[in-house]
Amino acid sequence: MNAPLHRLAEVAADPDAYVVAWKQSHPGRKVAGVLPMNFPEELLHAAGFLPVVIQENRDPDSDGRVILAEFYCGYTRNLADQAAKGKLDIYDTYFVADHCVQLLGAADVMRFKAPGTPIYFGQFIASMSEESTARKVRNEMEHIVGEVERGAGTPIDRERLAESIRLYNTDRRLLRMIFDARREGRIHLSGAQMQDLVKSSMVMDKAEHVALLEQLLTEGIAAGGSQARVKLHLSGHFCHAPKQELLDLIEDCGAMIVDDDLYHGRRYITTDVREDLDPIEALSTWYFDRNVNVPCPTRVQHDADWDTYLSNAVSESGADGVIVLMAKFCEPHMLLYPELRKMMDERDTPYLLIETEHEGLPMETIRTRIEALVERISRKATVAAAL
Amino acid sequence: MTTNPTTSPTTTGSTVTRMQANVEGGKMIADYWENIFTAPERGKKVVWYNGSALNPIFQAAGLEWCHGEAFSARLAAQHLEGPAQLAGAEYGYIQELCSYSRTHLGCAVLSNGGGPTPGGETGVVSALDQQELASKLPKPDFFVNAYSGCSTGQQWDEVTYRVFGKSVPIFNVSIPFLWGNKPDSRYMGGQEWDEATDYVVAQLRDLITFIEAQTGRPFDWDALSESMSYIRTASELRLEGMDLCAKKPTPATYWDWIASVAHINFLPGNQELVDYFRSVRDEVQYRVDNEVSALQNERYRLYFDGIMNWNKLGWLAKRFAEYDAAVIAGRYTHSSFWQEPQIIDPNDPLRGMAQHYLLCPINHSLPTLDYLTQRDCERFDIDGLVFHSTRTCRAFTNPQTMLASSAKEHLGIPAMFFEGDVADASFYKDDILESRLVAMLESIDVRRAKAGV
Repeated sequence: MNAPLHRLAEVAADPDAYVVAWKQSHPGRKVAGVLPMNFPEELLHAAGFLPVVIQENRDPDSDGRVILAEFYCGYTRNLADQAAKGKLDIYDTYFVADHCVQLLGAADVMRFKAPGTPIYFGQFIASMSEESTARKVRNEMEHIVGEVERGAGTPIDRERLAESIRLYNTDRRLLRMIFDARREGRIHLSGAQMQDLVKSSMVMDKAEHVALLEQLLTEGIAAGGSQARVKLHLSGHFCHAPKQELLDLIEDCGAMIVDDDLYHGRRYITTDVREDLDPIEALSTWYFDRNVNVPCPTRVQHDADWDTYLSNAVSESGADGVIVLMAKFCEPHMLLYPELRKMMDERDTPYLLIETEHEGLPMETIRTRIEALVERISRKATVAAAL
Repeated sequence: MTTNPTTSPTTTGSTVTRMQANVEGGKMIADYWENIFTAPERGKKVVWYNGSALNPIFQAAGLEWCHGEAFSARLAAQHLEGPAQLAGAEYGYIQELCSYSRTHLGCAVLSNGGGPTPGGETGVVSALDQQELASKLPKPDFFVNAYSGCSTGQQWDEVTYRVFGKSVPIFNVSIPFLWGNKPDSRYMGGQEWDEATDYVVAQLRDLITFIEAQTGRPFDWDALSESMSYIRTASELRLEGMDLCAKKPTPATYWDWIASVAHINFLPGNQELVDYFRSVRDEVQYRVDNEVSALQNERYRLYFDGIMNWNKLGWLAKRFAEYDAAVIAGRYTHSSFWQEPQIIDPNDPLRGMAQHYLLCPINHSLPTLDYLTQRDCERFDIDGLVFHSTRTCRAFTNPQTMLASSAKEHLGIPAMFFEGDVADASFYKDDILESRLVAMLESIDVRRAKAGV
């Protein structure tokens, strides 16, 4: 593994260590923990914070298990566990923009366990089709600006915010170059490596991340290496990263991941903030643009269809099948899943649903199911070739 | 093994004296649903809605309204939820999904003509059941969603809209969650409350414009004022009845108030509604005056947190009574449903309506819920808290362990948890309820013994 990839993987594997080291090397600076999936991190960056999307950790849930019920998603239960164990004390403040009932449950635990740490919920209205929503989101953005400025103790300079937006856009653009190259078969990185690229972006200082990506691209990424029989698209898995051993298992079963719409994947990097608008206006617009580019079932928008997006993405990548990764108990995903299923049945795309949990997965059972999918796709190709 | 309540040392096995007013109230509910079922043949437009009690607006617009959660709850209470849930499962909804939505979406699938393919037969629901459900619940002319607190609520209606092939118009009213961001944030007060109120009021005006377009008629503001006037009076009578339950032993229980949830939540605002709640209040007053208690031998006074387990309504009432445990109040009944009538101005009703939508008890974060829970525990001199850990209702379950901790810390009262669900009986575990209830009651006995009570 080359040096940039190694460093990005290192940060992705232990975000807390990165945050602690960053604080030590930036005395007097603050770290803001951000809950997924729509908070505009650029605002925090411009105010001098290190914005970090708080990641699920690898520890078994223990202290937090008794705080949130067992039927909450793995991410929110793990957040509660991290809060209960004091693992989140590395953050100086928290920001949330997403109205997810489970996420707010975890946020309530975070406030309960650390009442001295500010936690601001600037709700971005999820119903995108009503005329009133744009005004409301714009107003909420102003409230968030005020709260960020209060936390930073200084006003956000608009030019500095514009610089932060440009920096974040650069990071997204570089990541998209890599994702596009994978989709087009020009490079080969494993699913775990692709996840490292995005997860580290959610944690690291953006300038440092951009520098590593530029170094990676300059050094070049190899094209070959996969002996895969089938090409797959990974879909879903909001808020937290699917376990890397699951991604490895998929590849071990003879599949190559060619594209995804995971939050720790293309979903996170898909949309730039417009640089031709007032920065606050641009961040508000970004919220709406994201849901058009990769529709999300946590949003309600009548003319944005995740099923249509997925169908187009599969056509574009030439994926032979889809694995839907669903964080168990994720209600928006459970609600939309039948629509995805209907679409995949209509276009005769083989698919597999895998539910994931924080506390590990029955890997051998899942292996059998993935192998069955790969076999089904392979046979389908054989039959098609014989006709 | 289930403990025999007649031999347990902690029980005497109270019987429940049911309120007569609720017998008549049951007929009102049956009439309401019959009215919905016959709407198409009477040429009435039907709106499907979820979440907040928008029904006064629909009433004033001359519509028939079908509350999705209420319909799911009704099916569950009558043990008729099975076919709809099976149809939902066949369509692809996973069992861990909110069972209200799963049941209602199953009805949508059936109403829309069957299984995963519109017009196709479902393989798991018998033709008779399919026909029965599908023909009973009329297809919507449009949807309105105004879900407070729970993010799933809004997504649920969006998916219903998609199940119907996006062919039925939909309007969303977004209710901001009251997180308590500002230093002045408090129950019904502060900048956040004021701004959220203004935002919801503006959306209600937009909703009325949308409804005018759907009906082709100007909205009848006078009818809305009249309806809200009746609702305000009905609510005041309901609260008077609830207040009387501070008496020991209580003249009525939480289960009695559950029996009137439908009335206050979605029946038409009219004189009949007022008469019903007057009869409820009067019956409770009669009981107070004549020393009639709800339970034969009240020994424990409990508070119930969680949404109702509709499959087990009668069962739970008897279960607690067997242990002489009077469940007096709860978040679902006492912190919901036009519970602050003083803020309803019938002459200018939208603001008070918007504020009630914001006051939904799943639309608050922990500090406000702590306040409401402890307020009612003190008001009704509660001995213990019962938390219904509702498997598919994350919104109601969210803060429960923390509420229990706070009540223990500030009031010194114990709590118990039991598992169940709103509309899926498979999640209910009776033995767990019983053993935990017995344990909590014994801890109350020990506490009393130590205090020399």
